Amino acid sequence: MEILKQRPSRNPKEVLTFVLLVSLSSVTLLTTLGVILSLVGDVVQFFRRVPLLEFLLAPEWTPLFAEPRYGIAPLIAGTFLVTAIALLVAIPLGLSLAIYLAEYASGSTRPRIKGTLELFEGIPTVVFGYFALLFVTPLLQWAIPDLNIFNPLSAGLVMGFAIIPYVSNVAADAMESVPRSIREAAYALGARPYEVALRVVFPAAISGIIAAIILATSRAIGETMIVAIAAGQRPTLTLDPRETIATMTSYIVQAATGDQPTGSTAFYALFAVGFTLFLLTLLLNILAQWVVERYRERYE
Amino acid sequence: MNRSLESPPQAFSTDPWKTRIDRAFARALLIPLAVSIGLLALLLGDTVYRSFSVQVVRADEGPGKTYPFGLSANEILRQELLARGYTEEEISSSLQDPTERRVLLLQNRVELMWNTQDGPFRYVVTGLRDERVEDFSLAEGLRRWNELKANLGEGERLVLNPWLDQSFLTRPPSRSPLTAGIGVAIWGTAWVLSLALLIAIPVGVGTAILLEEYLREGTLNRILEVNLRNLAGVPSIVYGLLGLALFVREFGLGPSILAAALTLGLLGIPVIVVTSREALRAVPESLRQAAFALGATRRQVVFRVVVPAALPGMVTGVILSAARLIGEAAPPLLVGAAAYVPFFPNGPMSEYTVVPVQIYLWVSMNIPEFSRVAAAGILVMLAMLSGLYLMALYLRNRFRREW
Amino acid sequence: MVSLELLKDHETVRSAPVTEAEALVDVRRLNLWYGKKQALYDISVRFPRNQITAIIGPSGCGKSTLLRSLNRMNDLVPGVRVEGEVLYEGVNIYDPRVDPVAVRRQIGMVFQKPNPFPKTIFENVAFGLRLMGFKGSELEDRVVEALKRAALWNEVQDRFRKESGLRLSGGQQQRLCIARAIAVEPPLLLMDEPTSALDPIATQAIEDLITGLKQHYTVVIVTHNMQQAARVSDRTLFMHLGVLVEEGPTELIFTKPKHPYTEAYITGRFG
Ligand SMILES: Nc1ncnc2c1ncn2[C@@H]1O[C@H](COP(=O)(O)OP(=O)(O)O)[C@@H](O)[C@H]1O
Ligand SMILES: [Mg+2]
Repeated sequence: MEILKQRPSRNPKEVLTFVLLVSLSSVTLLTTLGVILSLVGDVVQFFRRVPLLEFLLAPEWTPLFAEPRYGIAPLIAGTFLVTAIALLVAIPLGLSLAIYLAEYASGSTRPRIKGTLELFEGIPTVVFGYFALLFVTPLLQWAIPDLNIFNPLSAGLVMGFAIIPYVSNVAADAMESVPRSIREAAYALGARPYEVALRVVFPAAISGIIAAIILATSRAIGETMIVAIAAGQRPTLTLDPRETIATMTSYIVQAATGDQPTGSTAFYALFAVGFTLFLLTLLLNILAQWVVERYRERYE
Repeated sequence: MNRSLESPPQAFSTDPWKTRIDRAFARALLIPLAVSIGLLALLLGDTVYRSFSVQVVRADEGPGKTYPFGLSANEILRQELLARGYTEEEISSSLQDPTERRVLLLQNRVELMWNTQDGPFRYVVTGLRDERVEDFSLAEGLRRWNELKANLGEGERLVLNPWLDQSFLTRPPSRSPLTAGIGVAIWGTAWVLSLALLIAIPVGVGTAILLEEYLREGTLNRILEVNLRNLAGVPSIVYGLLGLALFVREFGLGPSILAAALTLGLLGIPVIVVTSREALRAVPESLRQAAFALGATRRQVVFRVVVPAALPGMVTGVILSAARLIGEAAPPLLVGAAAYVPFFPNGPMSEYTVVPVQIYLWVSMNIPEFSRVAAAGILVMLAMLSGLYLMALYLRNRFRREW
Repeated sequence: MVSLELLKDHETVRSAPVTEAEALVDVRRLNLWYGKKQALYDISVRFPRNQITAIIGPSGCGKSTLLRSLNRMNDLVPGVRVEGEVLYEGVNIYDPRVDPVAVRRQIGMVFQKPNPFPKTIFENVAFGLRLMGFKGSELEDRVVEALKRAALWNEVQDRFRKESGLRLSGGQQQRLCIARAIAVEPPLLLMDEPTSALDPIATQAIEDLITGLKQHYTVVIVTHNMQQAARVSDRTLFMHLGVLVEEGPTELIFTKPKHPYTEAYITGRFG
């Protein structure tokens, strides 16, 4: 019969469409490849000139000095400091909101709260940086007199608010996916709403909650404009939140907007820092996915 | 405290402490929301407040006059130039020539001030070399208005300056805060965003269609999924480095609109994939089945039935990702938007700057008046974003379908 | 097929009615609405102490709703409205002064699908006890006791502290849920189709368990399996469209149903 001979996979239009879609989507793969290749080339250049040990162990990051030092430690310390402060804000606030969203918000308030959070997420981080530098820092200086104008404290605090949605959305999703039957079991045993939330739902969703925190950490580490504006651009090996510091991201901004001749060691250093940042955030993202997979509760 | 298990049913009474804890807990959970909303209000309020100031400005030339509301820009310029000592002929000849008139307007900004030493809502002409004598916050300036007015010197004027006004929107940047505008940056953003979407939409939507309609499982699906998930987590500044290394240097595009658009386009892809997939997934399976049952091929099912049904959701997603790209400062900063660009872009290879980068540059100048210019810039950017969000919201509600 | 008219006045046919003295729970003219939709009509019935009462009826007739009215679980559904009284030991649990949480602590419940917490077996059973303030060795003793009564002890005694409740088989999970419910020694135990998600062998084990529970507890069990109602219960309630059509000793209901609807259902002509 004629009809049976028409194999759909042979139809040229069908094949063409499929090929087109595959080639479009291959751009996403090429992007990853591009990120890695473009960084790696310059990173190799960098490590031809600066020994890895110096990069890892030297206590100073001063590419533009007459005798430049290329120790990543101050940038890591600065990044760590800002991230820690941000998480100190974002974790308690974000998780409270997540619990409210998952356990208390009624069907009509939930989308409204989520909408408000989306709004927060949609505010460009330059705006938060501006707010940190011009509003929060003066306020803090009034309380802490020897606070630098550029300081990780105010940048971290504001960043903490900026990443609340990342914590609360993912954590709320995790808690909402705990089956209703489990909550009912707890209520039937005479648990109060807060006991259900804290003793049953929260622990049951713990893998998703941890993943939310890891993802927020990754966001905080990669966040650029708030720190570039408010935390300063002076690499300092310190954990004192009153000092001016530089993070990996703020250093990249500083170096890229300054005039470093292409091909200089300082120029390649930019990519070494960028690659470190890339690896760190990638590892955190993979870790988050692994935690979710590994520790997910499998209900019926 | 062990409550006896055999207690009589009278024990159904409420434990007041627990009830109180319960209520307090529910309220405490809302504190972060209240704080966040408060902070947002503070941020907005502060920005708006900072975008006004009271200034004493000394005119470089001319008498520092103000002009009544209702005059045309031409007429104001004419009077101002007359006051500076030009002759009628000189003035009317330069006002008639379009090019000269544009240059005149660029060099002398005609602005409506909310208040001046001569009364509310009057025009002033601000020249490129006009000098600020003093700049006060709104509260202080208004408090000391009369004192300042009494002490005005020769050629000085006192104005309540709304930094965000019509001419701010159209002017190029400037080294003087008084004449700095965001026009060039707005055009830069428009150019970069449109070209970026030109890349991100086909790739993002195509990938979404491939993943949802053609390859719901299998190796390629897994590779694409994992890759997308990781791409979504890459900090935007790393995309900036990619753009710098690949597009600016390797492809030799230089610090151009095209380089920025390519960079932001790649950055926008993961968001569009996620939102488009959601839209496709919301199309019920029964619709596909119905189309298949009528003898449609997969391509026909996808492009004639599924994609049209998912279109409103996809468009909403594209708008939201556009909103995200508009606010990105780090990638364009790295691909060359940092330079001082006094000219409007005229093609994909133009030098450019974009709104968030312009704001960053103004903030980081660390000069009080530039922070006011930055505040005005932020208000412009937030207005653009609000517009996009409202559009998305409208589409979402207008085309919401109950399957 | 019998006409719907017969249900109109909501009059329940009763055989060998339970006296007020025998009743642990006394439901009086209970009406319940989910939003605008009425789900229970004027239900009056008594549940005798230390007996097993089964509720049967076609799906959607309000069996679960009635059951969940007995421990105020329906309060958790937004838009629920209840009229009438449920007297438990003579106290109306819908009295505004009564705290629904306190009610649920005295009345245990087992659900249709096993729903263990994602915690260890031990912590599952200990949950209710901890809420009531039990600690230390007393807590442990009661957990073990409950596992024994739920006939799960032999199977889990070597691993109950470490293993997650979710790792058990379906039947074991349901017995774990029963252990969890009875650990706090509730005088009344409510079960909503506790075996409908289980295979016949697991069902058999649970049924044996339920029969044994009678000594200590009063049990109300919803089932749409009529053999099960016949096997385990002392009394049976038949519901239809939110109305309690007939109630009486199980034997009578199954051998000499008085109401035509009951007869139709028992003999499998609808439902
Ligand atoms: N949460 C609820 N919201 C609205 N209606 C409900 C809800 N639960 C049950 N109902 C309705 O109440 C009626 C009785 O339901 P249910 O008690 O679950 O029946 P059964 O357990 O006998 O199958 C049904 O018509 C059902 O649709
Ligand atoms: Mg039911």
